[in-house]
Amino acid sequence: MELAGITKRFPGVVANHDIHLTVRKGTVHALVGENGAGKSTLMKILYGMQKPDEGTIAIDGEQVSFASPADAIARGIGMVHQHFMLADNLTVLENVVLGSEKLHGIGGAARRKIKEISDRYGLGVRPDALVEDLGVADRQRVEILKVLFRGARTLILDEPTAVLVPQEVDALFDNLRELKSEGLSVIFISHKLGEVLSVADDITVIRRGTTVGTAVPAETTPRQLAELMVGSELPTPETSESTVTDRPVLEVRNLTVHAAGVSLGAEDEPAGGGLTEFAGAGETKRVLDDVSFTIHAGEVMGIAGVEGNGQTELIDALIGTKHADSGAIRFLGEDITPWPTRRRRESGVGYIPEDRHRQGLLLESPLWENRILGHVTEKPNARGFWLNPKGAQADTRRIVEEYDVRTPGIDVTAASLSGGNQQKLIVGREMSHDPKFLIAAHPTRGVDVGAQAQIWDRIREARRAGLAVLLISADLDELIGLSDTLRVIYDGRLVADADPATITPEELGSAMTGAASGHLEHEETAPEGTDNAGPEDEAR
Amino acid sequence: MKKFDKERVLTALAGPVIALVLAIVLTSVVLLASGKNPIQPYALMLQQLPFSDIQVLIINQASLYYIAAIAVALGFRMNLFNIGVDGQYRLAVVMTAVVGAHLALPSVLQIPVLLITAMATGAFWAGIAGVLKVTRGVSEVVATIMLNSIATAVIGYLTLTDVFGVQVGDNVTTGTMKKSGWVPGIDLGSDVGEIYGLVFLAALLGIAYWVVLNRTRFGFDLRATGASETAAAASGVNAKRMVLVSMLISGAVSGLAGLPLLLGDTHTYSLSFPSGLGFTAIGIALLGRNNPGGIALAALLWAFLDKASPALDYATPVAYDKEIATIMQGLIVFAVVISYAAVQQWSLRRQQRRVGAELAAAVNTKKEVAA
Amino acid sequence: MRRVSRITIAGVATAALAVTVSACGSSSTASTSGGASKGIGLAYDVGGKGDQSFNDAAYAGFQKAEKDFGVSGRDIEPQDNESDADKTQRLETLAKAGYNPVIGVGFAYAGALKEAAAKYPKVTFGIIDDDQTQAKNVADMVFHEEQSSYLAGVAAAKATKKNHIGFIGGVDVPLIHKFEAGYEQGAKSVNPNIKIESQYLTQTAQDGGFSSPDKGESAADGQIDAGADVLYAAAGLSGQGVIKAAAEHKVWAIGVDSDQYNQAPLAKYKDYILTSALKNVQGAVYDLAKSVIKDKKPLSGDIRGSLNNGGVGLADSNPKFKNDTAIQDAVKKAEAGIKDGSIKVKTS
Repeated sequence: MELAGITKRFPGVVANHDIHLTVRKGTVHALVGENGAGKSTLMKILYGMQKPDEGTIAIDGEQVSFASPADAIARGIGMVHQHFMLADNLTVLENVVLGSEKLHGIGGAARRKIKEISDRYGLGVRPDALVEDLGVADRQRVEILKVLFRGARTLILDEPTAVLVPQEVDALFDNLRELKSEGLSVIFISHKLGEVLSVADDITVIRRGTTVGTAVPAETTPRQLAELMVGSELPTPETSESTVTDRPVLEVRNLTVHAAGVSLGAEDEPAGGGLTEFAGAGETKRVLDDVSFTIHAGEVMGIAGVEGNGQTELIDALIGTKHADSGAIRFLGEDITPWPTRRRRESGVGYIPEDRHRQGLLLESPLWENRILGHVTEKPNARGFWLNPKGAQADTRRIVEEYDVRTPGIDVTAASLSGGNQQKLIVGREMSHDPKFLIAAHPTRGVDVGAQAQIWDRIREARRAGLAVLLISADLDELIGLSDTLRVIYDGRLVADADPATITPEELGSAMTGAASGHLEHEETAPEGTDNAGPEDEAR
Repeated sequence: MKKFDKERVLTALAGPVIALVLAIVLTSVVLLASGKNPIQPYALMLQQLPFSDIQVLIINQASLYYIAAIAVALGFRMNLFNIGVDGQYRLAVVMTAVVGAHLALPSVLQIPVLLITAMATGAFWAGIAGVLKVTRGVSEVVATIMLNSIATAVIGYLTLTDVFGVQVGDNVTTGTMKKSGWVPGIDLGSDVGEIYGLVFLAALLGIAYWVVLNRTRFGFDLRATGASETAAAASGVNAKRMVLVSMLISGAVSGLAGLPLLLGDTHTYSLSFPSGLGFTAIGIALLGRNNPGGIALAALLWAFLDKASPALDYATPVAYDKEIATIMQGLIVFAVVISYAAVQQWSLRRQQRRVGAELAAAVNTKKEVAA
Repeated sequence: MRRVSRITIAGVATAALAVTVSACGSSSTASTSGGASKGIGLAYDVGGKGDQSFNDAAYAGFQKAEKDFGVSGRDIEPQDNESDADKTQRLETLAKAGYNPVIGVGFAYAGALKEAAAKYPKVTFGIIDDDQTQAKNVADMVFHEEQSSYLAGVAAAKATKKNHIGFIGGVDVPLIHKFEAGYEQGAKSVNPNIKIESQYLTQTAQDGGFSSPDKGESAADGQIDAGADVLYAAAGLSGQGVIKAAAEHKVWAIGVDSDQYNQAPLAKYKDYILTSALKNVQGAVYDLAKSVIKDKKPLSGDIRGSLNNGGVGLADSNPKFKNDTAIQDAVKKAEAGIKDGSIKVKTS
């Protein structure tokens, strides 16, 4: 497949401009670039969702033009979206044939075909399993199978590893290698440069809507790649010297939260072992089970864990949107367990929410109103009962300036900014109120490398000034690099702790699947619990 | 700044203008389909506009619509659908009329007491739906619809002659209110009529609505809740309290909706007191985009259609059906929903493009400097 | 955000300006000198033309007058959610256009009529079902519905086999209470132990009590299930549903206002329409028109339709009713009693 001179003048922050991309048959081709660099536009063009204004697409030397995804599928192009598009209450077989019933029917022939594809590429998919019983990795394989079932010869995978733990990532990469050995091509879109280097045969880097270079994995380091993406020198996520004090800021004791509703699939307890083990995790009755920890001033405590193991509930309990069923939260010596969210925020709890679109921003409101959000009772946003738009506007300009939020003004809506700039605004807002304790949930998710570095800098700066941080992230490098202490959450419990100075992502990943617990030591042997310290174990 | 202001005015006007044009075109199609002149009815209605008695009727009617629509809009701003404005204002009118008929204080006290009675009644009735939603999770849509029916029954009871009702001929009233509770209007002569004194209350409510929403902490919380419940919760808004409080305020405002007519003209509640204002107000709030200025224009437009359309009945040589106006009102609501969604999409894209363009320009100039 | 306030101010200012500017403007209904009458102006009540009952009775009189006196007329329907001001405007527009007499159908016009009559003293106004407006140029046309209903009650009590009858009112208002009161009193005069089902369809006219045959039908089904075998409906258009239900269950129905036995849309069911309590709205409209247009001696003051003057009565179009001597005797006796004052019929 070959793309030449693709240009798209398009309502977006960055349009595509003169993009060149050549994907060789039987290879994995990685497409990397900052958020908002134009990757998604390019993908949409490739998949027929949008038409390029200029440029050509050729497949096997033949020039093609796609009017819709159906055309792209007919040409053997398939897409696995970041958010799975599966019907939970249908079986794998039903999901796969849905929409392409004409190919192999919906009965035995389709089942045979699914089996055949599954065996050929080592996908290990059971056609009659209900999708709702499957874990994330299995779902992803179903998506891949769906695409192959429709006869795809070129697969586009959009951030496929974002939701996977390292072991699952390895399994996925094995699948990809199977695919390319069968002569299929894979276009692999990712932020995670380490992964890209390990799986890709070719790499194309996009910056500001155009292709800025290609790289050969064997001759490139992640740093070089990142610099190519950002176009400048990169800071590292490592924290330098420890700033941890012995002054506790946040103390959580035996915090337990029950699931709100009756659990739906209580019977479907994870079948021990394997990659799907966390599938039923969110459905247990105690979504947070007897969690205790202390965070001191100047300390960043990282929480590692596969999503859905209680992180959201922990955040909710700390910020006060969900109240603890038992246990206590003490903040600067005061028991804040019964406090409402607003009082907690006023007293110095900062919050970078995990889903900025749902929890951190009013997308259709201007930036300066977003600056007020969460701090409506505080200066400079309010004067007593009255709002102070002038003050808020002036302060928004300051944040835009200081945090390098790229925007033409503070009157544009939050929705019109790119993800990284939205996040910088949120970080700027939370830091502007001198928090004593910051909940940072996935602070750099979906944020481009440049903004990521800035955000890390800000957190580190505040930490030096005595801020206590709870860092929750799916990015293990970020966790290890930024944290002073690491805990692993699994099935609502803090099951393990580790020293970020010595632990590797692989060891951490193993604990995240529940395979290891206790204190994780970096050893030559497989990581296992050396001492029997339970979750009550204090962070140092 | 300036440029974005212009932009906003453009997007704010595009929706209603498209809706109106669409509605007029569709109405003309209806007229054509029924073999009538598709243009003349508009001309006939517009000819009514210069008459000052028609203007007075329009302004008076618009004041009722405006207050009710403000009540609806308050709910809309936080994603609450207060369909119960109708029941709330009718019940409030009855209670106010009863109090006004049995209580005799000097005007300075009487009128505030009556206003408070109306607001308290409306707030109480809306509050029931609020409490149900907060404590039992009952949808306010369902609750308020049911409360409308219950209000009708309660009014039926209150107006029984052995309760508060006073029978006048075959009509049932609540007795004439004491004169001290009458709100004098602006008399423009017997030919023209009188503008209700409480028209100014409507205008004040519009201003208060804007100030509260845009200039107070409470208003910000309310808007935030409407824009994104999850974001509001994370920012420390107590959603339940917010639901209850905004239902109460919405109800209090709807309680006032019937008062310009009650205190300015009829001075009693009777079987012929207009009902259904609350439903009309939903369309008006939609057309006005929940914006106090927009709602004012929408209320005036609605009142114009109401008051100018009877002229169609008297047209010579061919009379038109005044239901043309009703058809048009319906089509406006219909068109508004579509056009607003479309304009919103369009304006977001437009803005993103502008942001992109401006950033690109900024980058280019930087590059040039660097080079 | 600042833009909003500007628009608000602009809106208020425009509205204020419009008023001040127009304060010296003209009125669409400014009184002009009265000339020869152009015919009758008729303003309907909620429900409007086509209710097969009250409003249509007025329209029948209007049509007859148009034909007999060779004039044209104008009949206007009301709007939804209208207030007295709209009704005033309607009456004044008719008066200004030269219609004479101008008749408001229904008590809802009382307040409006008073204003309009004061403004157009040369025009004769008529109002049906209201006697609150006392003016030289106003004719109040009211009816003793309770008297005809009394007779209907007598007939029902005589016709029932199960000693169980029913009343269905359209809307729970005093006007309809009169029907119920008379009916009940009449029935009990025949048999004090008679069982009477009574039901009102809705609380307000806006809810459709006078205009929903489906509501009438289900209410009638209910009363028939409960055992009633003669149903009297004072419910406008909704009464058609009552008659339909009665016919389906082969029990008697008693119509109202017009002689419903003779109405074309009800021909299918006419064998089950025992009689109808008549209210001569048609005649009242016709008489007023005649007095103004033909006789040039406009009626005014109270015009009370009663059994004595034939303003109300009981229809005898159904032969089964007319030839049933037992019923006829009882009805005749009651009628005589009311006429000579020995029977006083309650109105509520």
